[in-house]
Amino acid sequence: MSYLVLARKWRPQTFADLIGQEHVSQTLGNAIRTGRVHHAFLFTGARGVGKTSAARIFAKALNCEQGITAEPCNQCPSCLEISEGNGTDVLEIDGASNTGVDDVRELRENIRYLPSRSRFKIFIIDEVHMLSINAFNALLKTLEEPPDHAKFIFATTEPHKIPITILSRCQRFDFRKIPLPSVVSRLKEIVEVEKVEISERALTMVARRGEGSMRDALSTLDQVIAFCGDRAADEDVQGLLGLVDRRLLLDTVEALLQRDSRRLLEMVRRVDHLGYSYRQYGRDLVETFRSLVLCRVLDEPQELLDVTADELAELQALAAQAGLEDLQRIQGVLLKLESELAVSPMPHLTLEMVLLRLAQLPPTEDVGQLLKRLAELEKRLSRGGGVSSAPVPRSAPSSTAAAESSPPPEPTPKKVEAPAAPNSGKGDWPGLVEFVKARRRPLIASILEQASPLQLAPPILEIGLPRGSFALGQLDDPELVEALTALAGDYFGAAVKLRVTPLAVDVANVRPSLEQARRQQESDRQRRLRADALDHPLIKSAQDIFGASVKDVRPIDKGFV
Amino acid sequence: MTFEQILGHQSQKEILRRALASDRLAHAYLFEGPEGIGKRLMALGVARAVFCSRGTGCGDCVACRKVDHHNHPDLHLLEVEGTSIKIDQVRELQQSLSLRPLEAKKKICLINGAEYLNPAAGNALLKTLEEPPGDALIILLSAHPDRLLSTIRSRCQRLPFRRLQRDVLQQVLQQQLGIGDAESHVLSALAEGSFKKAFGKDRRLYLEQRRELLRELTALTGGAVLPRFEFAEKLAGQKEQLQEILGIFQTFFRDLLLHKHGRPENEWVNLDLREKIERVARLETEESLLLKLDALAATRLRLERNVNRQLAMEVLLQRLAPS
Repeated sequence: MSYLVLARKWRPQTFADLIGQEHVSQTLGNAIRTGRVHHAFLFTGARGVGKTSAARIFAKALNCEQGITAEPCNQCPSCLEISEGNGTDVLEIDGASNTGVDDVRELRENIRYLPSRSRFKIFIIDEVHMLSINAFNALLKTLEEPPDHAKFIFATTEPHKIPITILSRCQRFDFRKIPLPSVVSRLKEIVEVEKVEISERALTMVARRGEGSMRDALSTLDQVIAFCGDRAADEDVQGLLGLVDRRLLLDTVEALLQRDSRRLLEMVRRVDHLGYSYRQYGRDLVETFRSLVLCRVLDEPQELLDVTADELAELQALAAQAGLEDLQRIQGVLLKLESELAVSPMPHLTLEMVLLRLAQLPPTEDVGQLLKRLAELEKRLSRGGGVSSAPVPRSAPSSTAAAESSPPPEPTPKKVEAPAAPNSGKGDWPGLVEFVKARRRPLIASILEQASPLQLAPPILEIGLPRGSFALGQLDDPELVEALTALAGDYFGAAVKLRVTPLAVDVANVRPSLEQARRQQESDRQRRLRADALDHPLIKSAQDIFGASVKDVRPIDKGFV
Repeated sequence: MTFEQILGHQSQKEILRRALASDRLAHAYLFEGPEGIGKRLMALGVARAVFCSRGTGCGDCVACRKVDHHNHPDLHLLEVEGTSIKIDQVRELQQSLSLRPLEAKKKICLINGAEYLNPAAGNALLKTLEEPPGDALIILLSAHPDRLLSTIRSRCQRLPFRRLQRDVLQQVLQQQLGIGDAESHVLSALAEGSFKKAFGKDRRLYLEQRRELLRELTALTGGAVLPRFEFAEKLAGQKEQLQEILGIFQTFFRDLLLHKHGRPENEWVNLDLREKIERVARLETEESLLLKLDALAATRLRLERNVNRQLAMEVLLQRLAPS
């Protein structure tokens, strides 16, 4: 047998070895001791926390030749067989490879036979979440009332994928992530036996990389031993794990707090040059800012921070350079950066941009402070003093009182191209109509469009409307007249006196209203169009040949002629 | 190919060499690192070192040659079929791993592009990966290890590979392609340490079309709308290379940013466009450059999610054109 990785070599063989899962081992042990062993178990939890190991230990405990015991002997043939994974009565099934209903049928076929040697026939189905839905359903009846000699142990990382009907038939055990100190002490045990020299600090780094998973930590330890041999220096471990140098991180933090863009770019170049992963760099930056925030909010941060006294002093000096709001904001942005880096096609650019952005941000202001300042400002305003330099707020368009003093309105009315526009420049009739439209008073605008301007010399404005017309009736409403007066006042920049004159229907010598002018223009165009069409040689010859007559002329397109 | 012939990756070679020498080779490795930097070569190097009849990976013995020609009976190669690696492929692999090796001491399996294992296939691999039958060695290669199942990652010894240094790549490019200083600089900078990119299909794009594209981009003005739409249409037509083209635009604006901050020129990508960069940099502020880079990054992300290309390009150019 060639080399066995640590995670396999040191797979726990007794409940005592199973670290961090005391709640599981105790419950199972008690069940065995009191003779109340269920027939179906579900072990769930993150990767590498001991689910499969626990299943095997439990199987050994049930089948040990020394009798059912919470502490299997690990010496009898039954125990040894299970450890090697080829027990005749303990079937370890790969649930992810044997997913179909046929596999379950085979299992049901198999379950009827008594165990060949041991007490129980134990089915360990690992990665059980991958079974198909039919396979699960085919298992239901068997799982509910299996023969006395059968036990099921399911192990999975994804319990949410398992049907509720299966869950309800199993005793479920949730495996926890293993706390850091427990991992470290286990690693220490292992390196002692393996005769590897490695400091506790390095082991902590390794354990942290495992993120609560024993197997991850052991894989990393394997890697460290493979690289460093029997003596692992802290620097080597750090380099191997790709942890970014502290100095570089602190320099970056300093440059960020001092808003030194140039230096930040230099940092990114150095990260690239040293071959660190940008993502790791981002992650470590977040971690550093977390330390700074802790330094800022706690009186004695060393309880939560794993740093030496020198490092702490350095961190505290940095933390003093910026406000808490600032630090937290930077931390927030960096947190987002980490996930962006994972998907970015150009990570170095993403990193540079975010750092430059952060360097550009103005210092934050506390919202409470701002509100206080705002309140003070309002108080001073209401007293009427101290704000002479501020621009006078422009009065609302409908208030007549302010119209006298206010400057001419800003939206200069657009000139309408109408044939009957005698007054050029500002203050003409079409301009007024356009202005009213711009002020979103469509009702007044439409009345004005139908009206003819009789006198247009501010302060007097006289408009004529055909007697008996609907628009004239509308102007009986004093409110509307007032609004119109106010609008006109705004437009001409002076108070206006409005006079409305009813006109006889057939009066010819008044200026036509805008609507009339437009209609006139339209019919002129129609006439011209008709003449053009009739003159067309094609039409003429059509008339000649077929004796046709022109009934109607319609423009194909408005802008055609 | 022996380890010596593979460029860079000194510490990774050292780790593997030591593991081989002390017979501490794990049963499952995950080689992770950007596309096209030599992970596969390295894995094949390991295979040769294990199979070699002289025990060195000499390259002359029968076993080594068989590895080189991909016809060693104990070397299995799992590649992406279609869009993913499927469960049937994994079952086939399990089947063959359960048999005894034919010629060598152990079986070796390379899974190229492990992030393409579909969920069923990935899960089916778990038990095999944890305790391979017999004495097999499984090497997973992945450019995006984060997309792998965490349960797979945890079962492997991870070996991170880093980007090749730009100057190393530049040297190789000069030697192998016989191109000049400026060109090799641009190409190596754009390839971001990946041989695959530098020698692959994008070479023409990087060397020849890049200048033209950037000329058109900088010729856009705030006022004229029509050329902008025409350019957008042209870009949208480049379905295959659009991401790379936007990448080129990103490098250009990044160069401007670096120029603004007075960084040395050898950090630039588009060294051959110095005058243009200096000219355009005068028109831009840092803030406007950052906004444009944001727009580019956002567009690239959207393109991955299948937005309407034409529309995306029009919106992008609207943002990129000087206001």
